[in-house]
Amino acid sequence: MSLASLLSLGLPFAAVFAADDVKFGRDVLPILSAHCFACHGPDAGARKGDLRLDEPEAAFAKRDSGTPLKAGSLDESEVWQRIISTDESTVMPPPAAKKPLTEAQKEILRKWIEQGAKYQKHWAFDPPVKSELPVVNRPGWQENPIDRFLLARLQQAGLEPRPEASRSTLIRRVAFALTGLPPTPAEVEQYEKDAAPNAYENMVDRYLASPRYGEEMARHWLDVARYADTHGLHLDNVREMWAYRDWVIGAFNRNLPFDQFTIEQLAGDKLPNPTRDQLIATGFNRCNVTTSEGGSIDSEFLFRYAVDRTSTTIQAWMGLTGGCAVCHDHKYDPLTSREYYSLYSFFYSSADPAMDRNINTTDPFLRLPDADQERDLAALRAAEQQAKQALDELTAKLEFVDPAEANPAPVKRPVSDVWFDDLFPAGARLNCSSRNASVWSNAPQTTVASGVRALRQSFASNYTDKAENFGVSLVVPEQARFHVFAKVDANEPPQAIMLELQTSKGTRRAIWGNPEKIGGGQVGTPERLSLGDLPAKGQWILLEVTGEQWQLSGGEAVRGITFGQFGGIVEWDRLSVSGELAPAIDPRASFRAWWNDRKGIETPGVPGDLAAALRDGPDKETTPEIRTRLRNFFLSSSARPTNADWKLARNRYDFALAQRVALEEGLPGTFIFKDLDQPRDAFVMTRGQYDKPGQKVEPTVPAIFPALKLDDPARRPNRLDLAKWLMSPDHPLPARVTVNRLWQQFFGMGIVKTSDDFGAQGEPPTHPELLDWMAVQYRESGWNTKAFVKLLLTSSAFRQDGKVLPEVFAKDPENRLYARGPRFRLDAEQIRDNSLFVSGLIRLKMGGPGVRPYQPPNIWEPVGYADSNTRFYLQDHGESLYRRSVYCFLKRTAPPPFMSNFDGPNREQLCARRERTNTPLQALQLMNDTQQFEAARAFAERILEQGGKTTDERLRYAYITVLSRPPAEQELVLLREAVAGYQERYSADLPSADKVVRVGESRLKSGASVPELAAWTLVSNLILNLDETVTRN
Amino acid sequence: MHPYFEHDLAQTRRQFFGSTGVRLGAAALAGVLANSGSASAADATGGKVHPALPGFPHFPPKAKSVIYLHMNGGPAQMDLWDYKPGLNEYFDKDLPDSVRQNQRITTMTSGQKRLPVAPSKFKFAQHGQCGRWVSELLPHTAQHVDKIALVKSVHTNAINHDPACTFVMTGSEVPGKPSLGSWVSYGLGAETNNLPSFVVLTPTWSAKAAAQALFTRMWSSGFLATSYSGVALRSVGDPVLYIQNPPGVESRDRRAMLDVLSKLNQRQFQELGDPEIQARIAQYEMAFRMQGSVPELVDLKGETKETLEAYGPDVNTPGTFAASALLARRLVERGVRVVQLLHRGWDQHGNLPGDITLQCRDVDQPCGALLNDLKQRGLLDTTLVVWGGEFGRTVYSQGQLTKETYGRDHHPRNFCMWMAGGGIKGGISFGETDDFSYNVVENPANVNDLNATILHCLGIDHERFTYKFQGLEQRLTGVEGPKIIPELLA
Repeated sequence: MSLASLLSLGLPFAAVFAADDVKFGRDVLPILSAHCFACHGPDAGARKGDLRLDEPEAAFAKRDSGTPLKAGSLDESEVWQRIISTDESTVMPPPAAKKPLTEAQKEILRKWIEQGAKYQKHWAFDPPVKSELPVVNRPGWQENPIDRFLLARLQQAGLEPRPEASRSTLIRRVAFALTGLPPTPAEVEQYEKDAAPNAYENMVDRYLASPRYGEEMARHWLDVARYADTHGLHLDNVREMWAYRDWVIGAFNRNLPFDQFTIEQLAGDKLPNPTRDQLIATGFNRCNVTTSEGGSIDSEFLFRYAVDRTSTTIQAWMGLTGGCAVCHDHKYDPLTSREYYSLYSFFYSSADPAMDRNINTTDPFLRLPDADQERDLAALRAAEQQAKQALDELTAKLEFVDPAEANPAPVKRPVSDVWFDDLFPAGARLNCSSRNASVWSNAPQTTVASGVRALRQSFASNYTDKAENFGVSLVVPEQARFHVFAKVDANEPPQAIMLELQTSKGTRRAIWGNPEKIGGGQVGTPERLSLGDLPAKGQWILLEVTGEQWQLSGGEAVRGITFGQFGGIVEWDRLSVSGELAPAIDPRASFRAWWNDRKGIETPGVPGDLAAALRDGPDKETTPEIRTRLRNFFLSSSARPTNADWKLARNRYDFALAQRVALEEGLPGTFIFKDLDQPRDAFVMTRGQYDKPGQKVEPTVPAIFPALKLDDPARRPNRLDLAKWLMSPDHPLPARVTVNRLWQQFFGMGIVKTSDDFGAQGEPPTHPELLDWMAVQYRESGWNTKAFVKLLLTSSAFRQDGKVLPEVFAKDPENRLYARGPRFRLDAEQIRDNSLFVSGLIRLKMGGPGVRPYQPPNIWEPVGYADSNTRFYLQDHGESLYRRSVYCFLKRTAPPPFMSNFDGPNREQLCARRERTNTPLQALQLMNDTQQFEAARAFAERILEQGGKTTDERLRYAYITVLSRPPAEQELVLLREAVAGYQERYSADLPSADKVVRVGESRLKSGASVPELAAWTLVSNLILNLDETVTRN
Repeated sequence: MHPYFEHDLAQTRRQFFGSTGVRLGAAALAGVLANSGSASAADATGGKVHPALPGFPHFPPKAKSVIYLHMNGGPAQMDLWDYKPGLNEYFDKDLPDSVRQNQRITTMTSGQKRLPVAPSKFKFAQHGQCGRWVSELLPHTAQHVDKIALVKSVHTNAINHDPACTFVMTGSEVPGKPSLGSWVSYGLGAETNNLPSFVVLTPTWSAKAAAQALFTRMWSSGFLATSYSGVALRSVGDPVLYIQNPPGVESRDRRAMLDVLSKLNQRQFQELGDPEIQARIAQYEMAFRMQGSVPELVDLKGETKETLEAYGPDVNTPGTFAASALLARRLVERGVRVVQLLHRGWDQHGNLPGDITLQCRDVDQPCGALLNDLKQRGLLDTTLVVWGGEFGRTVYSQGQLTKETYGRDHHPRNFCMWMAGGGIKGGISFGETDDFSYNVVENPANVNDLNATILHCLGIDHERFTYKFQGLEQRLTGVEGPKIIPELLA
């Protein structure tokens, strides 16, 4: 056992003083690194006295002032003499550095020099090798190699392992470890009754096969990948890349080998003919925070994004703190600034822009049709083209007399036009206040009033969709009546909804609900008509405005249509207008009127060679050919059909177009990573400043590691080469780093405690041989993650009970030697999911956009930028309230309290290791959060429904459901008192009881008496707050 | 049955829902602590739930607590504190190249054809014995200039809000580092057992222009444990998240539950011996105490009419800066270590005169009242008050310039902050800028120099205040050689 690690275990120093085997890597290097290398290490820029102690050649070299280190001789080693000097001007480390050595550290250095001052490479930079398995002699600890390493070490320290935990403890431990959820009582019973010798293994296999496994594994990786649902900087607007999160879940569930998992995320786009999934995986490198803050300088952020990606990659796979080398050569590890920027150059040519534009689809963005949708799209495109052709052919042949040229001029006729249904008028430019594309709900998933989709508006504040710049002419008829369908959401009705037109007479608005909340102008004028209350909730209602109310007479042009709402959710469908109009001035009846209407404005969709003539108006001379083609364009695109065939052809085309657009715009998508066609030149950035490029660098890897292997050495290496290099068998780090992180996940702390730092400043491994054995094993298994996880979980070490004996605790408070089973608080997501699961409220639907469950008011609002589309939190309803936490929307600048209160990271940067705090705010949340208290009530209902008749039966049911074990008599005594006490209290106070059972939105199911349910709700709340409940025991 | 358990059970039977429930809880907790190893640690620290780190403070502190008033968006230094009378001659003249020195400017004004100088339209007058020039926008604060150390030469590296806010609060532009308040509560713990050690208030504001965002990273604990994150005291909903029992649940119901809960947890502890269980019992008790102390904290009924009036009429509206400033005093009075007020709306790219007037109306009177209130209660000697934004604003106008109105872009090269109270020398001014308030010409003060000085006032040597993360001894004040500013110290 090494000195340093014994010291870190808190063993009395005298007890190990006699131990002679000082090891450089484990004992000496951490001291040199922490106390000396800042001035005498790899960073040439910071080096003092031209002395470096990180390389033996320099340290042993004779100098004018003496020899820094003389093997075996303290007297002749200047370093030692300076360490023990009592003269403040010569002692090392100098007092000003404020890094004095402890006596114990000095002793280690003394021994090391006396023993020959042998340098070895830092342990983590030598490739791992499988050493001989230690021989141990204890039944149950010989089969699994992990146990042999652990037990040998334990016994060396004079400790013995604990016996195996009870089956109920074990199954709950395994279920949480593998699925993030507790076992069901049926699963507990099945396992407890299973007499097979491999009952435990079978139980582990069952959970490994569950789809819940991928969800649990993914959330750990998503911490590393810094995945979230917003951009993270400044406006912190929504981004759409949940498909990446779902890819991670799926990858674990199908047990994608870790080398492939790595390659696809770092370089899926570089694979030959990448699949859709491989492209989604590249989202790993798009998870970094981005900005679009006004005034930002592009080069600064391109630099920052590349630094983030480089440092994240270095840390995720190599466990090194590359960030240091952004500004200067790494002070402790052999990573020069130049080497850092050589890695950086792999990422610096990314195709995503410096400014994310605050939109949810920042390029490169991949739409994600599934196979059916791809097929449908192709068919719809063909149908659309066919319909268009048919329409064009028909209109080209039409006999057409312009009513403006008829004599006498035809009389007024009734007209009826649809201005909006599935689509805005052709060519419309749409502008949504969210900065994203407008949102639609498609039939048949939702009921629409007309056509194939409806416009959906959902925001807790002001929200508008504005369409303008139409390719057809909209004109107001006389005695106009405007009609529009609106469906106000039953759960989240807005405070006001609005229809607005931009007309040749100015802006016209009609508002239902509170007219002060939306629009402009004076209430009561046509600029801001107040047309009464909101329409009835939850159904399509036809709303009407008349031309008279709006003071619009026949012939006025309409240039823009806006739908708006404030504070909730509304859907809009089919805006139509009817009235009567003289054909001669009707731009949908008269070619000449139409041409006049288009004069001076752009007309989207018009063939390029006709645009000028159209813009010039009908009175400017032009060729008959152009005139004819313009006429045909008019008839095909704008004119109101006047016969059945024409009408049919037009309708066919409109419908085909709407179907295609609805499908296309309804497709989800995701951020993917791509390179620019022409790579950007990368430079060492002096002192990490984006505007101080120094030496130019080419993509390559640090010299301390094996070289890149290229098929053609002349080729510029790319990210695929980098990813393959990471996974190559001679790379010392990725396998170690990965098995250590998995170990940490299941045992609570890594073998290298600093799982994010395997460098000289990190903590050395407690069990180096075990770490190396596992690293090689994992790699040789074909990076088989499930097999490796199973190896961990089937060890006897994992299966020990968690009892902490005082004498063992004194020796090993952190359980670094594993003389007991791992026991630690559940993670944030597990705590929430546990309550939802035991209460039966949980919905195990997988995948899709982030959901927004209960959240107290004012989490987002006080911090959000005024104009951000995540300033206001609009809670979901129904099943979204009860989805697993891995699917909950995470806004980085204000993460949900159920995460942040329980040490969930805000995903602004990589997090390889969460803290586990214990705070009063956690207690408050578990007791009082709506989500938790509703779960307590739903759990109480379950207990009353399924838990039997007597209090004892019910308590037993509750305990087995939550803790996988029956309550002990002592516990029953206390809980019976609580049940009786609360029953008495709520029977005497029905109004309070009634309030207790109505927290949350799920409906009361049981017919239980309200006081009884209230009493059991509090008892359930108590049980869900037990230390044992929130702990993986 | 275990004798300890039997005894406890008897108590429960007798006192379930009894009037002595609360006392029982406290007594039961005391019993728990007395048996645990952590109790002796708690005793050694005077029974504090959140004690200071061993060896902290490093030396006797001047200040015990900090109230940090952050003016988010970047207040215009030349309209408030950095008096430049000579600028009037330059009205609408181009900013001389000799002054700009080709420094970068943001892309919001880098496309402007001209950079015309906009002198402040506000009048300045001298105040106090020190004769400090202060803008007419700050009449109340001006009465306290003899308590204030003004720093005119603060500079930062970032030119945009997000990185600049992150820098001023965490000492780094890149997200992920702990905030100043988190560092302080990590090092010094809390004096109170009933309230968090670090509390954040985000008051309302009056400027009309779209306000910049805040980020929870400005008060979160970064790589430190999340227990050191600032706790937002909210004006809408529960003042502290989840402080309120659910409908139909009263305090005595909660007490009854906690009594059983702690016994069940205690039983678990006896079985497993894991000290984390005892920590959890203690945290539940603290949660219960907070349920009592927080409503008392936010209830201003006990304040005198004079005090309320001093903070101005807004004090009666929860969530205003005035109400928050008064709460800050109440928090410090109750032993909270760090109180941070983040007032938004100072990002005045256009219509600066209009918006800055509204903003000053929000903060000026409460700032003056706060200094006075602390002084009168003898708290100013032990409370460090800090005022400032994340950067300053340009002397040249963004957008149209008239005698009446102008806008100003971001300016990281110099801006003003002030400090007062515990450990600070009043009535002084530190650092000087050129005639255009564009460059520091004397005594530059980096944000991290100020943070080092703040830590010094609290008895912390910023160089020795480190936390090992990702292989580095991380510090609030970074690695660029920050220095305490001795001139500011009393």
